[in-house]
Amino acid sequence: MRILVVEDDEVAAEYVKKGLSEAGHVVDLATDGDLALEMASAADYDALILDRMLPKKDGLAVLGELREAGNATPVLILSALGETDHKVEGLRAGGDDYLAKPYSFTELLARVEAIGRRSDPTAAVTKLKVGDLEMDLLARTVHREGQKILLQPREFRLLECLMRNAGRVVTRTMLLEKVWDYHFDPQTNVIDVHISRLRGKIDKEFETPLLHTVRGAGYRLQPA
Amino acid sequence: MSATQRKDIQPLGDLAETLGRLLRNTVFRLSIVGSLLFGVSLLVAQLIVYDTIVSSEERRVEQGLTEELTELELLFAQGGEAALRAAQQNGLLTEATPQSVAQAIFDQGAQQTLQRVITLRDLSPDVYSMFVFKDESATGKMVTDEIEALKINAPTLTQYDTTDLLREEVIATVEATDVADGDPVFEERRVLAIGHAVFQNDQKVGVIFVGRDVENIRRTGERMRRAMTTSSLIAVFLGVLSSIFVARRFARRVDSLNKLATDVQAGHLDRRAPRNYSEDEMDRLAEHLNGMLDHIDRLMQAMRYAGDSVAHDLRTPLTRLRTRLETAAVEAGDKPEADVLFAAAGDADQLLSTFDSVLRIARLEAGERRELLKPLDPKTVLDDLAELYEPACEDAGLDFSYDIRDGLTIMADRGLLSQAVSNLLENAIKYAGGGGGSKIRLTARKGARGRVSIEIADDGPGIPVFDRERVRERFVRLDKSRTLPGSGLGLALVDAVADLHQAELVMDDGLGNEAIQDGEVDHEGRPGLSVRLVFPRIKATRQSDDSKSKKQGELAD
Repeated sequence: MRILVVEDDEVAAEYVKKGLSEAGHVVDLATDGDLALEMASAADYDALILDRMLPKKDGLAVLGELREAGNATPVLILSALGETDHKVEGLRAGGDDYLAKPYSFTELLARVEAIGRRSDPTAAVTKLKVGDLEMDLLARTVHREGQKILLQPREFRLLECLMRNAGRVVTRTMLLEKVWDYHFDPQTNVIDVHISRLRGKIDKEFETPLLHTVRGAGYRLQPA
Repeated sequence: MSATQRKDIQPLGDLAETLGRLLRNTVFRLSIVGSLLFGVSLLVAQLIVYDTIVSSEERRVEQGLTEELTELELLFAQGGEAALRAAQQNGLLTEATPQSVAQAIFDQGAQQTLQRVITLRDLSPDVYSMFVFKDESATGKMVTDEIEALKINAPTLTQYDTTDLLREEVIATVEATDVADGDPVFEERRVLAIGHAVFQNDQKVGVIFVGRDVENIRRTGERMRRAMTTSSLIAVFLGVLSSIFVARRFARRVDSLNKLATDVQAGHLDRRAPRNYSEDEMDRLAEHLNGMLDHIDRLMQAMRYAGDSVAHDLRTPLTRLRTRLETAAVEAGDKPEADVLFAAAGDADQLLSTFDSVLRIARLEAGERRELLKPLDPKTVLDDLAELYEPACEDAGLDFSYDIRDGLTIMADRGLLSQAVSNLLENAIKYAGGGGGSKIRLTARKGARGRVSIEIADDGPGIPVFDRERVRERFVRLDKSRTLPGSGLGLALVDAVADLHQAELVMDDGLGNEAIQDGEVDHEGRPGLSVRLVFPRIKATRQSDDSKSKKQGELAD
């Protein structure tokens, strides 16, 4: 993906750029709001990582002008302002996701990849497939190797989130936000317990595990 | 019948309530006192007018009568003396003439003189009547024909035994003067009579009365008194009416300020008092309140800005630190340094989450999120949480049960409520699970007086009674829990959330007793802990019946 990182803290920006490049993305940097607007309008990016507090032009203002101009590039808002209402504000302004500082880089990567432009629009998808694991979104059924797997509604949503991001890391916070719609981090391992239950259903009786734990980051659903 | 009765009672109750409200209104009381004072001063003014017009007229009449009486007495005496003298000159009266004859002569002379005087005087139509009562034995003999014609109900003579001035009100029946034709019509007119007993040789010989028709004065007086009463009553009535009007108007303006205060307390810092720019004291109060609110708003914004800036300034380097540690950890791969680096990154997370919690509690305490509260069925929130935490409880070897009733409603913010209950559940898992407990129970049900209680109870070690207040404070951790991970902010956050929701945070012994009753023997010193969030009864929204909502509001408070 081609990603524009807008961040006034150059050290942080370099780290983000380095990390994203290592993950195989092409990264451009902008250090202030005006420049960001100019670059985002000029080139066609697959995703934008936008800091809220920027010199010259506030991040939300940049986002507003982009959206007004009809630019639909997915935007991940990055900010030190972590309160829930700030998140809501950011998402209302046209952001696709919101990440509060401090973020772990894996979290950032996972989220950018999740919002990044996909070849096929998600709305048209009725079936998801990862390896031999199949999910029918209409019939709400899951099969592996032709064997039907019974899932609780929440487990279904958990698996759906993982399958939609197959091959990419999904963090615990992302799962908590997208599956449970909670915007706080529990101190205990609630998500791990749910994952291990899901794992018990989709992986236990099969030879190759699909659901992997990524240390210090989260989980990844990947065949082999 | 009963329906009409109830209908009758209802407005009465309302009236009593309205009256009670009015009487509590300061402006109403003040303006009622004002209108009463006005009524009294009106009465005084009218009394002065009455006095100058009616009383002084009557005094003038009385004075005139007194003068006439004196004159008549003089004439009477002179007439009698003259008659006696004439008789002596004529030889009719000798030394031998008995006293009674002499007296008769005297009387006759006096009487004739008076009659002559009266006839000579041109009497005005409202009749200055003069009459003389004579002879103690008589019940009252009129001296003049004119007086006779008046048909006065004369008082008896015997009752006058004093030398003082006599004052008598008598009724004269006279032919009405303003009747055109036909039978004569008589009317009774009041006559004021002033009299004096006539003594000769210490013996009362008669009484002279002078009277005057005072009917017109009296009537004027009565009309004036009626007018005075009526106008005073009208003045007081209008005064009460205008008091009610002014009081209501004033009450509305005060109510609008009270509503403003309530709104601001509820977190709507952008509300301002309505002004009418009349520069009166209410308007000035509104202006000052608005100024104060602007100031508070500015301070809040400054605080928020400072908080945000600190957050930003602190988080940026911490993010860098964290990213570096993480990158290093990933690069370290399977080397043992990776563990240390991941742990260091975890510490940075811990630091930031503590910092976040402090900021969050501060914001909750500022109450600015109160406007986000809306009616909510806690079941939807609690079911989700129960579902999220059930596996974690089982994982920790705890038996998790929940009983969440349907049809409850509270004013709450989903995110904040979730976080508070989540904190309490995590505490229960952490402390009960780590302290030998085996049960966690989440319940939500109706409490007393329409309140809603959400309870998280466990059978762990619990919190001693004397520590229960202390643990709500920030960074307070009990000795027993120091070995467990945590920042001491969990309960402080729950307390702040409870405050924001105007809910009570109640701590109590938990499931320990229950377990002992169930026959579990190893529960010595482990009463467990029950934490309850008691939400106030939800106030009905304004769209529904207003009076009903008011009553409910009063009950809820």
